[in-house]
Formats: sequence, C-alpha cells, structure tokens
Amino acid sequence: MSSLNTFGAILTYAIALESRLRDYYTAAGNPERAAAAESRCTKLERVRRQNVVEITLEPIEGLDEANYALNLEDTSPEGQRAAAQIAARFYQDCAPKINAKEAQRALERCGRDHQEQV
Amino acid sequence: MVQKLKNYIGGRWVESSAANYTPVHNPATCELLAECPDSPRVDVDKAVKAASAAYEEWRSTPLLNRAQYMFQLKTALEERFEELVAMVVKENGKTRDEARGEVRRGIESVDFATSVSSLMRGYKTEDISTGIDETAERQPLGVFAAITPFNFPLMVPLWFLPTAITCGNTFVLKPSPQTPISMQLLFEILDDLDLPEGVVNLVQGGKDSALAVMEHPDVIGVSFVGSTPVAKIVYETCAKHGKRVQAQGGAKNYIAVMPDANLEASVANIMGSAFGCAGQRCLAGSVVVAVGDAYEPLKRELLKRASGLRVGYGLAENTQMGTVISDQSRQRIEGMIQEGVNEGATPVLDGRGIKVEGYENGSFVGPTILDGVTPEMKVARDEIFGPVLSVMHVPDFESMVQVINQSRYGNAASIFTSSGKYAREFKYRIRAGNIGINVGVAAATASFPFGGQKESFFGDLHGQGQDAIEFYTDRKILIERWL
Repeated sequence: MSSLNTFGAILTYAIALESRLRDYYTAAGNPERAAAAESRCTKLERVRRQNVVEITLEPIEGLDEANYALNLEDTSPEGQRAAAQIAARFYQDCAPKINAKEAQRALERCGRDHQEQV
Repeated sequence: MVQKLKNYIGGRWVESSAANYTPVHNPATCELLAECPDSPRVDVDKAVKAASAAYEEWRSTPLLNRAQYMFQLKTALEERFEELVAMVVKENGKTRDEARGEVRRGIESVDFATSVSSLMRGYKTEDISTGIDETAERQPLGVFAAITPFNFPLMVPLWFLPTAITCGNTFVLKPSPQTPISMQLLFEILDDLDLPEGVVNLVQGGKDSALAVMEHPDVIGVSFVGSTPVAKIVYETCAKHGKRVQAQGGAKNYIAVMPDANLEASVANIMGSAFGCAGQRCLAGSVVVAVGDAYEPLKRELLKRASGLRVGYGLAENTQMGTVISDQSRQRIEGMIQEGVNEGATPVLDGRGIKVEGYENGSFVGPTILDGVTPEMKVARDEIFGPVLSVMHVPDFESMVQVINQSRYGNAASIFTSSGKYAREFKYRIRAGNIGINVGVAAATASFPFGGQKESFFGDLHGQGQDAIEFYTDRKILIERWL
C-alpha cells in the first residue's frame, strides 16, 4: 500500500523533505540552496493550508516515500546533485496525482527548482 | 489534571456554575481531553446580559472598523491553522485532511464577513410621492445566538458568528458538548483581538443551556445546525418565544448514477461523499441510485475502492477515514446496518466490528456498502450519520426521480451523468436544497446560502451568503419630506 496516499500525506512529506534539504545544504556550505529549500517549505505549508477543500477522498496510489530516500551524508557536489535529482523525481511523480490545480502547480514548480540543480 | 472548560462571558474566562460536567473523549484513543460544563440557565443569562450591554457601543462602531476585526481574525486563524486542525481531529475523530478542509471552509466564512460593508447596504427611491423620498436601511438587531453540532466543530460556528457581529450584532455561542475544545481555541483567538467586552460570548453546555438560549427574552434570533428532531424543537421553541430562527436539520442525500456517467471519476467522487468524515456530514451521500445498466459496474467499482480505504487515527497523515464521534454512535450505526440486513439488504462490504491496531477501543466503523436496498427500508429512509452507503437499482430516470422525491428530507442530491438533458431535469425536478451535477458533496461556498428543504430545514433564511445578511439585519424604512 502506498504510504503517500492522501493530499496531506504528500504535502507533509514534501515539507519534511525540504526541511531536511535546508539542513543538508546548510551543512554542505550552500546557503543559497538552503534558503531556497526554506522558501519552498513556507510555500508548501501555505499550499497545504489553502488548497485542501479542492480535494476529494479519492485515494492516491503508487507513491511510497521509500522510493525517495535521500543520502544526506554525502555533501559533495555529486551528492548534492543526487539529492536534487531524487527531490525532482518526487515532485514529478506526485504533482499529477493531486487534483487541485494550485497545489499541482506549486509541486511542479518545486520539481523544476530541483531539476535546475541537477 | 484534566482541563475543566470555562465559559467566555463579557471578555473574560469565567468558571461555569454547573453542577455537572460532561467528559470529552478523543474517539480514537479514548483519552479524556477535557470536561465540559453543563452550564445552567444562570450562565446563559450572564452571557446574554453581557452581549446586550455591549450591543449599543458595538453597533455604533463604524462598519469598516468592525470588518477590520475579521481581517485580524483571518490572520490569526491562518497562523494557528495546524493547531486548530489537530484539535478538530482529536475531539471529532476525522482525518487531518478533512479537518484542514473544515478549517479552510471556516476561514472562507470569515473572508465573507469582511465584505459585509458592501452587502448590508440599503436602497433609496426619490420622489416616491411629491417631495417625498423613501429609504430602506439595514440595521443590526441585537443579540444573536448559535447552537452548533459536533460534526464540524469549528466550521459551523464560523458560518454564523463572523457575519452576525460584523453586521453589528453581539453574539452568544453554545457549541456541542461532544466537541467543545475547538471553540475554546477560537475564543482564545477572539480574546486576543481585543473586541469590546461582551461582543462575543461562549457558553459551554448541553440541552439545558440550549433551551435557556432559545427561551431568553433578550436573544433576537438563533442559528442552529443538528438533527431533524432537534431542529424541529429549536424552530418551535424559538417561534414560540418570538425569535428569528434558522434551523438546519438532518439529511438523507441521494446520489443518482446514470449509465452515461464517467464511472471512474464518479466513483472517486462518491467515495468522498459517502465516506468522507466517516459519513457524519449533513451533505454525505447516503443512498446511491444506480439507473439501468449503471448498476453492475458501479457496484463493482464502489466495492473495489471502498475496500481499499485505510481506516485509522485521524492524526496519521495516511489515514483515509477516521472514527465516528462516540462509542454510542458506533453502536447506533452498527444497529442500523443490522436493521438493513434484517430487512433484506446485503452487506457487500461490512464495516462492523473493525479493529484498528493501536486503537482497539476507538469508535471505528469501517466503510459499509449495503446492496439491494429498496425505498421502504429503514436504511433508505432514515439518517444513519455514519459510513454506510446503500445501493438501489432502478430501471430509468423517472423511477429515480420518484424514489428521491419520496424522501422526507431535502438537504442535497447529486447526479452523475454526461447528459445535459438529464442534468437539467434533475436540477429542475428534485426537491432538495443543494444539487450536485457530477459533484458528490454539493456544499455551498460562503457567499452562497446553504440550501435545505423539507425536513432538512426549518425557517426561511438559510445560513451563509446574502441570506445571512438578511437574517442578521432588518430593514428600517425611512419616509422623509422636508418642508
């Protein structure tokens, strides 16, 4: 069974992901990316607050957080690229499954932000 | 030490003079969250007196200033959004997403109240007679009250309080004793806004407090949401005491599925309607009427989807359906399922006796689908208020209309179809106050009145939208001539 099976589960996971990436980039000495992750956190919290009325109870299938595990030990440039790649993939996978347009757009935008770092 | 809830009267938190307190449990964990006072008449009287005393000063506060409080309220609700969500989950048992949806809808009502300045305008006609002009002005009326239910402990009070006070009235709220804590949080927020003392008042309690509100001579009008038997009592009692009243009762909402409907999208939507908030919504789809060839594929798809729902504690993000409100409610719902079976319905999915790991004593009822339901069965006629979906099969559109219009309730009805003709006919002929076309939960947004007909509503002006402005104000007619 998918562990990311509701709107809230996906958005909460995304917020936690960005929060971990903020700390990771800080540790990697990359304050610019840390700030970008922090900004995405704030944006995703707003999306979770504001867009939930648009969703239905329709179960979301096929998304499991185990598929998006990050290696946060490796702070090398390659490690950072790999982390961005996984984050980008997460957003690419989840955005089409959300049936609230504004939320979908925000997730796609987060995915693009990460993709640009790859 | 368990928290003993207090009343909020005249701008202060005050202890109730109640002799009895009702325990408030988390319906999933059974944790004792608080004790709610059964506030007696004397407490209600204090609250109404405080609201009466505050009225003249408040009504003369410029309207735009009154509206400013609503902008501040919105900001505060956004800031404490997740805290409010968590409390709704804990005391009601719904899922986090459902609670988020509830808080969001509540905030939309606050948004609506910020626009009162453009909605409570009067009108004027010059020269209605020689040299005489006539004007209708809208004025607030005094102290209004609301008696609100457990199923949307935060949203329903926000349907009423923000618009009522922005119109210039003062307010007394009596929430459900089963879910009183969300209102304590709301009143903490209201307290921080520094509204004049007495503009908003909270009295916690049950039936006696409600009766005291309805019978109090200084209460001008009452808004109520609850079951039909109680809505009738509220309507009659308020009318007897000369009050305005809007009393929203129970429901038995039908969902028609035509053979030409987009089955996959329809079923996804029906799932939300039938099982969202564990069916404890006055807009919950309760009976699905499959027309003609829609029956078999619809039943198959419903069963497949409903079987996969993850039932659990609402605080876990991946829970898709939470508890019902109490163990007593669970027993009542399970009893109604049994009555359906006794009358000949087939439980193709039976949620009775479900156990959730870690929450073995929680008030869970799993998603239930009863097939072969006919209009005369109790499960087709009476409100269940739980996650039970009855499936009926009728041969054609006409039979479907007949079945739905037989219901004594008229809160909502939906049709799933790709035919504009059927959609139009449905909207035109079905006797229900909220109609969904390919929408399973036909919930009016804050700027539209929340409909309701037959035994689902007693009164004439509904909650929300322009009806709310009409309910919370009166027109004063001015005829003027200058000699």
